[in-house]
Amino acid sequence: MVSATQPEFREQQLTSSMLALGTERLALIGKHSSLLMQAYLQGELADNQLSDRAIRKLVQANLIYQPDESRGFLLRPQLADLIASMVTDENRRHINADVADKLETIRLRVKTYRDAQQRGDTTKAQFQLQLLTGLVHDLGGQFGEAMDSLWHRLNSNFGFVASLADKIRENHRAQQQIGRLLDGLNYVDFAELIALGEGDVHLRKLLVSQLQRQLNAHHSSLLEVQRRLVQLMGRYREQQARSVLLTNMASFLREHSNFQVGDYAWRSQVPELINQAQPILPAAAISLDQHAALEVATGLMASMPRPTSNKESVPSEQAERVATVANPQVEARQQALKADVEALLLHVVDQGKQQAGVSALQYLREKNLSWDAEVWLLQILGEYQSLPPQQRHLFSLRRDEQRAHPFNDLLLIADLELSFQPASQGQAQSLR
Amino acid sequence: MIEQYGPLVERLLSGAFICPFSDPDNYRRLQNDEVRQALDEYLRPLNRRLAQSQGSGVYFLGYLNFDEQARDVLKSQFSQTLQSLMPLLEWMLMVQEALGRDGALTAGDSIKLQEFVLKTEDNQSLRHRLQLLANDRFFNSQADSVDAQVKQIFKRLREHGYVRQPHAERQYFEVTGKVDYLVDLVRFIRDEENLPVSDEAEQEALL
Repeated sequence: MVSATQPEFREQQLTSSMLALGTERLALIGKHSSLLMQAYLQGELADNQLSDRAIRKLVQANLIYQPDESRGFLLRPQLADLIASMVTDENRRHINADVADKLETIRLRVKTYRDAQQRGDTTKAQFQLQLLTGLVHDLGGQFGEAMDSLWHRLNSNFGFVASLADKIRENHRAQQQIGRLLDGLNYVDFAELIALGEGDVHLRKLLVSQLQRQLNAHHSSLLEVQRRLVQLMGRYREQQARSVLLTNMASFLREHSNFQVGDYAWRSQVPELINQAQPILPAAAISLDQHAALEVATGLMASMPRPTSNKESVPSEQAERVATVANPQVEARQQALKADVEALLLHVVDQGKQQAGVSALQYLREKNLSWDAEVWLLQILGEYQSLPPQQRHLFSLRRDEQRAHPFNDLLLIADLELSFQPASQGQAQSLR
Repeated sequence: MIEQYGPLVERLLSGAFICPFSDPDNYRRLQNDEVRQALDEYLRPLNRRLAQSQGSGVYFLGYLNFDEQARDVLKSQFSQTLQSLMPLLEWMLMVQEALGRDGALTAGDSIKLQEFVLKTEDNQSLRHRLQLLANDRFFNSQADSVDAQVKQIFKRLREHGYVRQPHAERQYFEVTGKVDYLVDLVRFIRDEENLPVSDEAEQEALL
């Protein structure tokens, strides 16, 4: 009687003291969480912020250690692993592919369990079964954690490293880990597990149905991750090849500025790649032999401002110009500027009698024109002033002005707003 | 059946490249064998046919028969493309470098103009390269500011169909399949001319 209760009592005592100690030490992690996290990130614990007593406690709890006198305190690998897994830090997340050791422990526990059962020691047998259950969960969890990490890396496209070369290396590393995990799974001999569970409901349930089902699922998802990693690696390599090709081609062309290629267009077999036909623009005009078209044409005519009959030259010719334009490039720029302002005026006409006018600067931005804002506004003013009076009346120009300074009456033009005036309607009407 | 493809035919005739990014609907239509046959039938009198780049899969129009005129057009067109090759490659490499991208630009990539401008302004060497690039005949910018140079470069790229601007008022561009076509072309020239231009990464480390 006594001999039966003593170990039980000891075990209870052990469990309760472990509970107290474990709770105290887990609390230690919480108490120093920010310092421990900093140590995780910086590699070393900033021990000047801790008392000697606190450091001693952390060392006793196996949370930190000092490899040698010359160095500071580091996190124990187990703690670093825990953090890496908690914050899914794929750079440091550790994958444990060691299966053989766990299988050995499972065998051992099964033996101890069966011995205890044969002796009729149900308490001990119960305890062993509990440990065994934990072990089986642990093995499943180990693969689960590895799978989680692998999927995470795959789905984030290895976003935790920056360069393509690093991604290729990380992908390679992940593939190696999968190889090891698959090797580990091959250690598991299901016939042996069935033999181990023979004749015991609990064992069979644990080792055969549960473990086998779990490992099968992990096996197929490992193969799936492997397939996707290989696929992704192909894409990385392709991307890399493309980038290298372009870099090398650019430097080749730089070195051989008079590089000539063959006359592909006159080959008997013209390469598909350069067979790019000249554009054809399908043009169409109003034909007046149809009644419907005639109506459209009349409508268009009516809406057009009346052309001036006098022989005043086109506005852009009269606009103020730089006195002498010797440089053909400057000349071309000047013409382009004029053309853009004309396009603006036409745009204003197209807008018609809309309530709001067209802002010159907004137009400049919308059309992505590269003119300096000041040059642009000046040119518009010039073009506007040089329009023949009848045409000028068709537009209303509003200056958005601001005083240069509260004490200075100089007005600075911030923007111009152009609109098409309804007065033109009268002229359009007179066409009919 | 051809009537419903009017806009598609018009785009193709205008010299557009149809890729899954610039024109997904039409690209999907072109995946259909019957549609391609109908288009080829329709284009026959114009001496045109639907062509497709093997690598990137973009569609465009090519000549059906190579008469003298067609060959002359192809020749001058190809030499123009070759002239623009260097500035275009330099542009691709610059964007990749300035924006810290993993790989070379490819169809579907997006580029925020402002980000490119900021990164370039901050870096003396990139500014210098941009200046040279903007002054190249292909881009032909006379502007002094980085902002204006970049705008001019992207304006020209848009005109040539290498990028598209989904919203006219937003300075945000998407790379089209024509860029992938350009890469196909680079690979083609490399192979045809046996150029010592490798695309293997090991080679890169040695350079």
